Amino acid sequence: MKKMKALCLILALTMLVFTVSSCTSTAPASAGSADTPPAETPVSAAPPESEPEEQVTGTFICGIWPADTDYVALQQHLVYEAIFNAEHSNIEFVRFYYKYATDNFLPMVQAGTVPTIFESWFTEPAKLIESGGARDITDILNERGWAEAINPSIKELLSKDGKIYGIPRDAYALGLGLNLELFEQAGLMNADGTPQYPKTWEELAAAAKKIKDETGAAGLCLLAKDNAGGWHWSNIAWAFGANLVTDNGDGTFTSNLDSAEAVAAMEYTKSLKWEYDVLTADPLSEDWGTGFTQLGTGAAAMYIMANDATEQPTANNGLAVDKFALVPVPAGPGGQYSLSGGTPYFFGANASDAEVNAALDYLILMGKAPVLNDLSIAGMKAGNATKVSMGAPVIQRFPCWTLQELIDKENEITAEFSNVNEALYADYFKAVTTEGNLRLEESGQTQNMYAELTKVLQEVLTNSDADVAALMKTADENYQSMLDNPTA
Amino acid sequence: MQKNNIKRKSPVSGFLDKIFYNKYKKKREGAIRFYDMSSPLVKIACAAIFLICAAMIIVAVFPAAWAILAGFKDLKEFVTGKKILPVSFSFAGYAKTWESMKFARYYLNSAIAVAGGVVCAVLFNGLLAYVLGILRPVGHKVVFALVMWTLLIPPTTSVVAQFVNIHKVVEFFNKLAGLDSMNSFFNVMPLWLIMGANAFWLVLFKEFFESLPKDYTEAAQLDGCTDLGVFTKIMLPLSMPIVVVVSIFAVTAAWSDFLLPNLLLSNSEWRTVMVRLFEFRTAIKVTEIDKLHAVVFSIIPPTIMFILFQRQITRGVTVGGIKG
Amino acid sequence: MTAGARGGNLQKKNRIQKNISAWAIMLPTLVLFAFFIWEPILESIRLSTYRGIGVDFSRLRFVGLDNYRLMFIDPNFKAALSNTFIYILWSLIIGFFVPLIMAALISETAHLKSAIRVAIYFPNIMPGLATAIIWTFLFRPGPTGVLNIILGWLGLAPFNWLSARGWTIPLIITTMTWKSAGSTALIYMAGIAGINPELYEAATIDGAKPMRRFWHITLPGLLSLGKTMLILQIISVFQVLYEPMMMTNGGPNNKSISMMMLVYQYAFRDFNYAMGTTISVFICLILAVLTIIYFALTRKVSNE
Repeated sequence: MKKMKALCLILALTMLVFTVSSCTSTAPASAGSADTPPAETPVSAAPPESEPEEQVTGTFICGIWPADTDYVALQQHLVYEAIFNAEHSNIEFVRFYYKYATDNFLPMVQAGTVPTIFESWFTEPAKLIESGGARDITDILNERGWAEAINPSIKELLSKDGKIYGIPRDAYALGLGLNLELFEQAGLMNADGTPQYPKTWEELAAAAKKIKDETGAAGLCLLAKDNAGGWHWSNIAWAFGANLVTDNGDGTFTSNLDSAEAVAAMEYTKSLKWEYDVLTADPLSEDWGTGFTQLGTGAAAMYIMANDATEQPTANNGLAVDKFALVPVPAGPGGQYSLSGGTPYFFGANASDAEVNAALDYLILMGKAPVLNDLSIAGMKAGNATKVSMGAPVIQRFPCWTLQELIDKENEITAEFSNVNEALYADYFKAVTTEGNLRLEESGQTQNMYAELTKVLQEVLTNSDADVAALMKTADENYQSMLDNPTA
Repeated sequence: MQKNNIKRKSPVSGFLDKIFYNKYKKKREGAIRFYDMSSPLVKIACAAIFLICAAMIIVAVFPAAWAILAGFKDLKEFVTGKKILPVSFSFAGYAKTWESMKFARYYLNSAIAVAGGVVCAVLFNGLLAYVLGILRPVGHKVVFALVMWTLLIPPTTSVVAQFVNIHKVVEFFNKLAGLDSMNSFFNVMPLWLIMGANAFWLVLFKEFFESLPKDYTEAAQLDGCTDLGVFTKIMLPLSMPIVVVVSIFAVTAAWSDFLLPNLLLSNSEWRTVMVRLFEFRTAIKVTEIDKLHAVVFSIIPPTIMFILFQRQITRGVTVGGIKG
Repeated sequence: MTAGARGGNLQKKNRIQKNISAWAIMLPTLVLFAFFIWEPILESIRLSTYRGIGVDFSRLRFVGLDNYRLMFIDPNFKAALSNTFIYILWSLIIGFFVPLIMAALISETAHLKSAIRVAIYFPNIMPGLATAIIWTFLFRPGPTGVLNIILGWLGLAPFNWLSARGWTIPLIITTMTWKSAGSTALIYMAGIAGINPELYEAATIDGAKPMRRFWHITLPGLLSLGKTMLILQIISVFQVLYEPMMMTNGGPNNKSISMMMLVYQYAFRDFNYAMGTTISVFICLILAVLTIIYFALTRKVSNE
């Protein structure tokens, strides 16, 4: 009976995919889930059959419930919830919209109200674990066989002392987002509709100059308001061959912010403002969000951004989906690297094993788990349909699970819903799958390092006489002092 | 030029006198008096001063007025447009932000937080002021000194510990009542009660109470009225001017506060308008124009209140003596 | 036992009763003060002697006064501390004199007085957060910012207001002054209105011109009020938080970071409540010293 009910709900979910996608002109001809044979799953998602009179053994506080303003996602989650309830009569489902922020998390830890599952950022694991707010899920993941399926470098980020505390929702790698309307106006397009994008930082300065001269818009939107400035800038530093921090392996770190390569990268950044003058009016007023506004509204032509944020310039800031492209971060004398990370899920410290398992089952429904079955396929489709209806590009996800059949299936579904010219993303995906291209954030007190770098950026972008080497030396000393005197 | 005009008492000068300078006959404060108008220099100075004052009005009102008008722009126009005023006036943008951000709910929440806050501000500060100013029991000087210190050490500096304290108590009551910690109404109540511990308003009350004639209270006490009875039946009705002043200050403070409300109410269904605006700082799906709309929504209620009570408010500040 | 003694006893009993009833009435408010203000200050001092993430003492370790040592070697704290002096300097130049000048000018005009009064107070009722956001929009760099559009009318090039060298703190203070100057000016105006008009008339008979009357009567009349306002102004500068946080995020290169911003960052960005309270306690200490100065000043004034 229960299986039947679940099947009906899958059907409902598929219907939803159609409803959502039929709202748009780019609806795919067929969703075609019926033709796909049900794939093997590494772990069975179905819980054991239980007695008619079931007792509620836990409460699943679903901290990834969408905001009630997010209508499309809400429709999807209502269906997920229905399927979940059909399968888990012994778990009470609680809808809970929670948006992680550093100023609201500790209160929840204090109150013991951290939801069973919640999304956070990749900068946060250490703090979350130390604060006692996130729970160790190593055993549960091992039982399910999921632990081995996590992309190893991501697993490293989410672990402490050999214990795993989180699983990835999405992984990202930084690239260069382009506003093709401006590239067209500047005459930087190939005949086949692909942009003549800059391959190196030198080329970027020239291309940005051309765009600025032809269109009046800024060539590049560089961030220098908050730590995101240092975060983006570390890509430039790597391209110039810098290693910003050395992990000494004994719990101490050595800052290398004043290396010749890092100084050269900062000199280059300075020249973007004072020699080429291709930046937005004041990079010191730009943060992660305004960068997308500048790119999306055509005030800037290029912006360092990741594949998991492509809905930002398009759906949220008005750039037509076919006028956006994502290309690799330019190379420099030191090579070509992309910073990678991702959005993790964490689990509340108070959650029981049964509740964490319930949350993991819910992820299967959402198509965000290393599990391939009808439910997860329907979930992936619904996700892509949403993007199509919003006018956001449907592109490959970045593999955060190493399960090949899942990756293949995801790519197949992506192709099916594709609403973009894949050539506009091909070089990006080629670059980030090249061996040795991806780099994780530097170790140590990363946020403090970003803060120091952002301060240098602010100085060189407001002072044409700034002494880059001296500023980097000060930043290096400041950061080393913080590394030597941890405050927490 | 003007100098000559005045000397000759030309029609222009006469006209200026009639519409402008004659009004100075009634001026009784400040250094310049009507009899100084014989000097053309003073006349020019008066005109200049008036123009500067008119400019003050513009400077004071312009930012808010601009925000409201710029809210009619669409995102692209707002980010890349080079005009101060919008091209067209359509409420669609405002309506969209209002709908999608569910502002109606936050208005209601703010109204609840403000209403309770005002009651607490008047009641608790009034009671303590009554005791310190009129009843003066043993130890009232020590209490007053402690209160005066808080006037100068702002609670913002200990907001971390303040929050920890509040949190413990709120959790205790939540557990006692078996309520959901996140959405329970106990999270809102500290925002009411904290308005009851304001040294500045307390001093306003105290000074007002002390200025009231003693006969009323003494007569009431002889009639067998209790101390509390004297407060509710005599003191409060006699003190309506200061009650209005404190209420207005309390409304503004409660409406504008976001630091503590953000810590107490984030993610709960009781979030206020200002908490919502503060969240926009880090929100992902919020565009620049949404932010501007939210700012406008947050300034409309205080503006309406201000227009309705402008007389009481501007008079109240002077009664208050020092700023709120 | 004489009748007088009995009466004394009764009076004593009455007085005790009176005291009990008075204390009972003020007890609820005292509890609020203790809970929301006095105890948190003590709690801050305690927390500042621990180290770790969060506020759960079982997860923190006692470090004595070591956090204060770390505070003084934190490069951001050094910047915030020296910025505080620059904030004070500019708040004296802009924040203190502007309302005084406004009050003096408005008192010398005979037209639209109540309209001016209402208009200049209007910014005061605007929520501080909204004010900071609106002014950030007004100061927006590039040719699309409102102030830059106005510069354009005058034929001038756009200006990067908030990140221009030396302009950041003055502009933040300008924003704060825009919001608060009206209410302060109204208080000064009340002070001017309270000056005995006969003083002016007597001076006129002695042949004093308006400017002289202003210098010798109006200004001295505002002296004691001015002293109070000055110290309140300085105290409020120590709490500068959301203006730099919203407008510049402390930049450029820490040139506008404030001590309260550091408290906020430590506590609510890094979960490092202990370091946050360490700086809080330091601010409280400075304010306590200023408070003593304030009381000394006001006492002198009221004695005069």
